[in-house]
Amino acid sequence: MFNVSNLTVSVEDKEILKNFSIDVGPGEVHAIMGPNGSGKSTLAHVCAGKEDYTVLNGEVLLNDENLLDLDPDERSTRGLFLAFQYPIEIPGVTTMTFLKSSLEAHYKANGKEVLSTPDFMKLVREKAAELNIDDDMIRRPLNVGFSGGEKKRNEILQMALLDPKICILDETDSGLDIDALRLVAEGVNKLRSESRSFIVITHYQRLLDYIKPDYVHIMYKGKIIETGDSTLALDLEKSGYNNYIK
Amino acid sequence: MSTTDIQISAEEQILSYCKKNIATQDKKHCFYNSRLDAYELFKRDGLPGVKNENWKYTNILQKLESIPVRSQTHSAPLNVNNFINNFDIMRKLRDTNDTVLVFMDGKMQEQLSLLYEKRNIEISSLKDDVIPEWANKINNKKHSENEDELFNLNTLLMEDGALINVKKNNTRVENVYIVHVGNNNGFYNYRHIINIEDHAQVNIIELKISNKSDIDALYTSSIIWSIGDHCVVNNVKYQAHNQITIGFNQQYADIGSNTEFNSFTISSGSKLLRESRNINCNGSNSNISISGVNLLDGNSHIDTLLSVRHKAPNTISREKYKSIINDNAKGVFQGNIIVDQIAQKTIAKQSIDALILSSHAEHDAKPELEIYADDVQCGHGATTGQISQDSLFYLKSRGIPEDEARRLLIHAFLTDALDEIKDKKILETFGDVMNNMLNRVSKGNFNV
Repeated sequence: MFNVSNLTVSVEDKEILKNFSIDVGPGEVHAIMGPNGSGKSTLAHVCAGKEDYTVLNGEVLLNDENLLDLDPDERSTRGLFLAFQYPIEIPGVTTMTFLKSSLEAHYKANGKEVLSTPDFMKLVREKAAELNIDDDMIRRPLNVGFSGGEKKRNEILQMALLDPKICILDETDSGLDIDALRLVAEGVNKLRSESRSFIVITHYQRLLDYIKPDYVHIMYKGKIIETGDSTLALDLEKSGYNNYIK
Repeated sequence: MSTTDIQISAEEQILSYCKKNIATQDKKHCFYNSRLDAYELFKRDGLPGVKNENWKYTNILQKLESIPVRSQTHSAPLNVNNFINNFDIMRKLRDTNDTVLVFMDGKMQEQLSLLYEKRNIEISSLKDDVIPEWANKINNKKHSENEDELFNLNTLLMEDGALINVKKNNTRVENVYIVHVGNNNGFYNYRHIINIEDHAQVNIIELKISNKSDIDALYTSSIIWSIGDHCVVNNVKYQAHNQITIGFNQQYADIGSNTEFNSFTISSGSKLLRESRNINCNGSNSNISISGVNLLDGNSHIDTLLSVRHKAPNTISREKYKSIINDNAKGVFQGNIIVDQIAQKTIAKQSIDALILSSHAEHDAKPELEIYADDVQCGHGATTGQISQDSLFYLKSRGIPEDEARRLLIHAFLTDALDEIKDKKILETFGDVMNNMLNRVSKGNFNV
């Protein structure tokens, strides 16, 4: 389904990912944990197609198609979704306009008929209500003046609308209070299905209490050094990374 | 030929043109004395140059190499249907009851204009032998200490223009369009004088269009406003010139008390465009917006000289300008807000922002405040930046293609300036034109 193999990536001649590989099957949830600077966010950005990185080797395959050959917008319409650690504020573009442009781009790219404005509004309101997002928030400029919780809920709303195949959550729990964390996690859990997979990047086991992973990986110095089930995260919480970093 | 030779040559050509022109003027005409004074001043001062201008980022003499020769064979006058079909906006206007005055190469074209009897709006021509007293009075007064050599030139050479009088208590808001089409090479000079009596409302929309990309035109144009008390006036100017036109536009406005005046300019193209805007808030409790959007690409150069003077207490002004600059284009902006000693409680805010799309583009901005009152709220600022790569990536990561993402971000950059176009009726007829403009700009085509 989603396979990253031997991915080596550098920034300004410094290798951040070194022969990184991961295989994510349909419907699986993989958590990636690791100390600061181990390359977790780089992995998320490179998969989504952010410039500033040089890919020296490797492939990122979604259903056997190499995403590295595609522009970021094409990766998105093929089914990859990156939930940003710091969603970008864009004054002058309302959230509604942004959602409409985004959804229309997806429908067009996938040969689907674009929704009429009333149908689109209905769909957005339905999905938004599930995440406690009110109309006022949707009418405001994108992420401008949103609280940390609102920004992350807005990310999950986009995820719900775009119906991706693989979702990468880049420290979605950062900056959230306990209630916001629960709300966001519930939003993610509702989207779990047999055909949709997740990579959850996090520093804290707490998120994994809500979003139960099938696999937990420890990433260090640009590659995975340990893989286990959800008990690995519990163990990390108790003893830290030192037992795993050789 | 050295640069110095070219400078002398263009100025001398204009002086000789002026000499011939003044000799042909009717000495009995009410404008004759002001033309003669202007001629003497122009003989003395010539064109503005880097030596005598405050802000030296526009070298007029270098850009102006010669007077374009008027085409020997004027292309056949357009027939009404062709004209209307050529310009989308005209087609739309035909279905309204709006007054449309069409000028071609600086001359009024009655057969192309849409004129209706309006009880509260009188329209006459600057070309008439007898000029209404109000127009003569406005024309002959001193408008500002910023009247410069280019205004003198326009005073001397103006050949045609609209004289619009909006009568007292006109509460039915009418749209009046003034359309200029550049259709032939040449040197054109025109002036509009607009008088708005107390308690009147009107929308004046100017469109300036180069009909073809190879028309070599030089023009001076001025618009002089006298606006009374308790008026609401909306003005939008949309100018889409080709890359070889040189234009010198001057706007002077005297504004009474309790009046709202929103004046917005969208400019694109031009080898050189000097936009000189001089606004006097003479009465108290007025609220004005002098704003605009400049879209520059190729080698175009737009220079805005803005002066807003608060001469009475309790007035509000907003000056909001946004420029998008691509290729080798250059934007120059000098904006001055003057608050007289008497003008206590003035609120004035000026912002000048530019989005640079290429490494060769340039923006020079100088916002200024001159404050002589001690109880005011005034602010100014200027920014110059690029499209944020982080914003672009965020939009693209949601499936939005690059073109559309750039369109959204450019629209976002312009949006708070475009919000200064307040009148719904203007936006109704103009909305499509603006959306088309934004679509083209986001694809790198600035020839709006």
